[in-house]
Amino acid sequence: MLGGIYALLGIGLTLIFGIMRVVNFTHGELYSFGAYMMFMFVMLLHLDFFLSLVLATALGVALGAVIEFVLLRRLRGADIDTTMLVMIGAWIAMQNVEQLIWSGVAKSITSPFPSAPLVLGGISVAWSRLFVFAVALLLIAGTYALVDRTRIGRAMRATFQDGDTARLMGVDIDTTYLATFALGSGLAAAAGALLGPVFVVTPGMGDLAALKAFAIVILGGLGSILGATIGGFLLAFIEELGAGYLSSGYRDAMGFALIILVLLMRPTGLISRKDRIG
Amino acid sequence: MRRLAILALLALLLSVPLWVGNFYVLHVLIVTGIFTIAAMSLNLLLGYTGQLSLGHAVFFGIGAYVSALVSLGFAVHLAPDWLVTLDPQPVWLAMLCAVAIAGLCGWAIGRVSFKVRGAYFVIVTISFAEVARLVALNWDELTQGPMALNNIPPLAVSLPGLDEFDFIGKVPNYYLVLVAAILAYVVIARLVHSRAGRAMIALKENEPLASSVGIEVTRYLVLAAVVSAAIAGAAGALYAHYIQIVDPNVFMFLYTVTMVIMVVAGGKGTLAGPIVGGLIFGLLPEVLRSFAIRPEVQWVAYGVLMILIVYLLPNGIVPAVASLWNRAGRADAPAAPTTGSSPGRIVP
Amino acid sequence: MRSNLLRTMLGAAGAVLLAGAAFAQDTIRIGVTQPLTGAFAADGNYVVQGAKLAAEAINKAGGVNGKQLQLIVEDNKSNPTEAAATAERLIVEDKVPVMMGAWGSSLTLAVMPKLVEYKVPMVVETSSSGKITTSGNPYIFRISPTSEMEARAFAPLVGTMGIKKADFLATNDDFGKGSMQEFTKMLKQKGVAIGASETMAEDATDLSAQLAKIKASGGDTIFVTTDVKQLTLILKQAKDQQVTARIITTGGSVSPDQLIEQAGGAANGSYHLVFFTPWFPDAVKNPDVAKAFMQAWSDAKYDVGGLTEGFRGWDGIYTIAAAVKDAGKADPAAITKALWGVHVRGVNGDIAFIKQGPAGRESGQSVPGVYLVKIDGGKVVQP
Repeated sequence: MLGGIYALLGIGLTLIFGIMRVVNFTHGELYSFGAYMMFMFVMLLHLDFFLSLVLATALGVALGAVIEFVLLRRLRGADIDTTMLVMIGAWIAMQNVEQLIWSGVAKSITSPFPSAPLVLGGISVAWSRLFVFAVALLLIAGTYALVDRTRIGRAMRATFQDGDTARLMGVDIDTTYLATFALGSGLAAAAGALLGPVFVVTPGMGDLAALKAFAIVILGGLGSILGATIGGFLLAFIEELGAGYLSSGYRDAMGFALIILVLLMRPTGLISRKDRIG
Repeated sequence: MRRLAILALLALLLSVPLWVGNFYVLHVLIVTGIFTIAAMSLNLLLGYTGQLSLGHAVFFGIGAYVSALVSLGFAVHLAPDWLVTLDPQPVWLAMLCAVAIAGLCGWAIGRVSFKVRGAYFVIVTISFAEVARLVALNWDELTQGPMALNNIPPLAVSLPGLDEFDFIGKVPNYYLVLVAAILAYVVIARLVHSRAGRAMIALKENEPLASSVGIEVTRYLVLAAVVSAAIAGAAGALYAHYIQIVDPNVFMFLYTVTMVIMVVAGGKGTLAGPIVGGLIFGLLPEVLRSFAIRPEVQWVAYGVLMILIVYLLPNGIVPAVASLWNRAGRADAPAAPTTGSSPGRIVP
Repeated sequence: MRSNLLRTMLGAAGAVLLAGAAFAQDTIRIGVTQPLTGAFAADGNYVVQGAKLAAEAINKAGGVNGKQLQLIVEDNKSNPTEAAATAERLIVEDKVPVMMGAWGSSLTLAVMPKLVEYKVPMVVETSSSGKITTSGNPYIFRISPTSEMEARAFAPLVGTMGIKKADFLATNDDFGKGSMQEFTKMLKQKGVAIGASETMAEDATDLSAQLAKIKASGGDTIFVTTDVKQLTLILKQAKDQQVTARIITTGGSVSPDQLIEQAGGAANGSYHLVFFTPWFPDAVKNPDVAKAFMQAWSDAKYDVGGLTEGFRGWDGIYTIAAAVKDAGKADPAAITKALWGVHVRGVNGDIAFIKQGPAGRESGQSVPGVYLVKIDGGKVVQP
């Protein structure tokens, strides 16, 4: 189940990273934003669970578009460090606005799934986790189709390969960037909205998620949707393995140890074109 | 003129405890000073070699933990029947160990990380910080995990002919940090103005060109990383013995971010930049707090301010003030007051 | 030997300036450090709510020695280093003569050196680790039970509940490990086998790996030590993984009401050691005090689930108020002395301090009540 969520987070980040050259530190905040929207719709406004999921994702897309329009548009052509600093500032501000509104106290969301797990040949799986997994797979497939088949997807791929040429060929860079950032943000918000009801929602929940997303992007290579998908599942698998055989405390360290290893052996990620500066 | 300004600044800093009676203000100044030292060390990497390390808290944290552990002593099983023990050592020795081991880690991490550049480098450094945090959290036989290392002794120095002197309380610690900061400044300034420093700056401006004229890229980068890590380790050691408690959160990303903000806001690649940035962003939270503003609002302001600085003063405060100074009818002055001699200013 | 000459010279100017500002206060300030954000945020906020209610009630009744109480609340962010920093701020900047805090054992332990440095007493309202009162800190006055007291109170029930093999799941801090250690000792004395002893980070949300190991161990009872937020997750995930062993929580920070609300059916069948039973106010030692507290809580429209945590703040502030009254002045040394003599009728029994720890540097420890309750059919019952 976690593999699907990791993949969603990774894909969103890898698109933004690969196409826009922006190290997006607000990614984790979009994730917790999705979870909080879910909390608001389900627990406070008592909307339908599935409708809430759609709304939370849509709001994530909208928020992503706003961030791109307000903060990033004027930084076109700035170096990677500058945009990174702006994103760090936005991250700090967003996380604390969240804390101000929702307080530091963890919130939990009730889900409509039966609390008895599904038992299949000795293995028990919670229905809610099964649902998360299915939706995550659906979203991954949808994103893949969007990038592969649609006009805007083609523009994204063109921009990724060579921004300047794409512009010369008549690709509207502003629209492409806006769509990319909104799509990536929407995926992060969807991941948060899916996972919020399974665990609890706290203002800091996005931090580790964002760091793991970075790990996945590195594993999969910049800008590769397939790579991020594989990276997400791989990370989840290795974490389980680490928790089982080493100590459960080191579970979260697995991904980062893996990044260091991968970069030592294969600095461009598992699946990627060569991308080294300098 | 410039020398006079520096002397005046030093006199001002030295006299602070004489006219600031509020111990809390001194406390804030001490902590600010420690983070300013860390920011200065980060500036060596970020400003002079152009490598954005987002794992700088690693060295700060390693310095803090090593110094705390050596001064407290420890007993740890490296294998089920291989027990390593260390009796408590004097604090000055512990601090030296901290500097040495932080420098060593700087060498090791530098060797590994400088294989990659750009975004990859950023993420690899974040990964090191996160691994360090999780090790500190989980290896509780050594680090006490989330229970934190507590009751860390303060620095005690015994000079021949004098009794032992403990750095307890605000005033002695203030001077200790001030002296350490000046020392760090001098080390960095000398390095930057040396041959090695010029090589680093050349690398930042144009790495392929620099390597084609025979500059050994990795060697200079690693040298910068070692010095930077050692100074950050010293800052961490000072921190541990001043606040007397260390927990795994010293490795948190937020600490690195604080250092990065200090450097960038002040002006990366300028010697005075991290000091100006350090003072502003070290004192700002306390200023906001004194207006009884809720901490969340403070941090929101912090984040927004950071964005504004990047938009309005992309090169940082020090270069901006310097150019303002020059424009204000002093175009004849050969150099800006504090930064003119620094060749590391970026012209994008 | 320390040479004070240099220090005296350096510090003299500062000390002179400081002296003028320290006095002239119209209110009695009480410093409170609690986790208002971070892993323990839910509990810390409830304690502060209880403390504020107590201060209001005392102030409405005329205050202490004709002066009003003023709480200065600092957020220690569930982090030991922050906890030490908040103590520094409260004592040095806000000049409080007495403190209450710091919820978690690791947080309290981090504050303790500051109390010695500045000679300010602190009433400990929640922490359970034995270390707090046995390390020789004469400024500590604890009103919450230690893990050892809890284990001792539970001992007679081991036989009646038929516990044969026990597993542990606890936070990897002083709170969790301290409890695990005391209960392990007690259970071994009773001849109970110990299976897995798993720990978790206090902010961990996915505990499936730990639960899998516990399930594999095959004990009949799991002792869990954590706060309510994490317990909710544990109960849900235990159900998902079909862990059937009986769950007993220790530490008293798992509000059963909140569990019923947030974990739903997964909470049924679990047992909880609590220090206040708002469901049966007549079962406690001082029912009138308990009812007054519950009335104030419901008047303030606070969350019912917070009662089992909020009472700690209420009792803490009443204890401090009694000491300040006896001391006659808001002075740290006088309050420390007065705390040894207080007799307060608290929500959780009578509060009075006995000496614990090395001779000459004893800490104060009160002996409160410990109760076991069970959640059954979505209700809290006496087992």
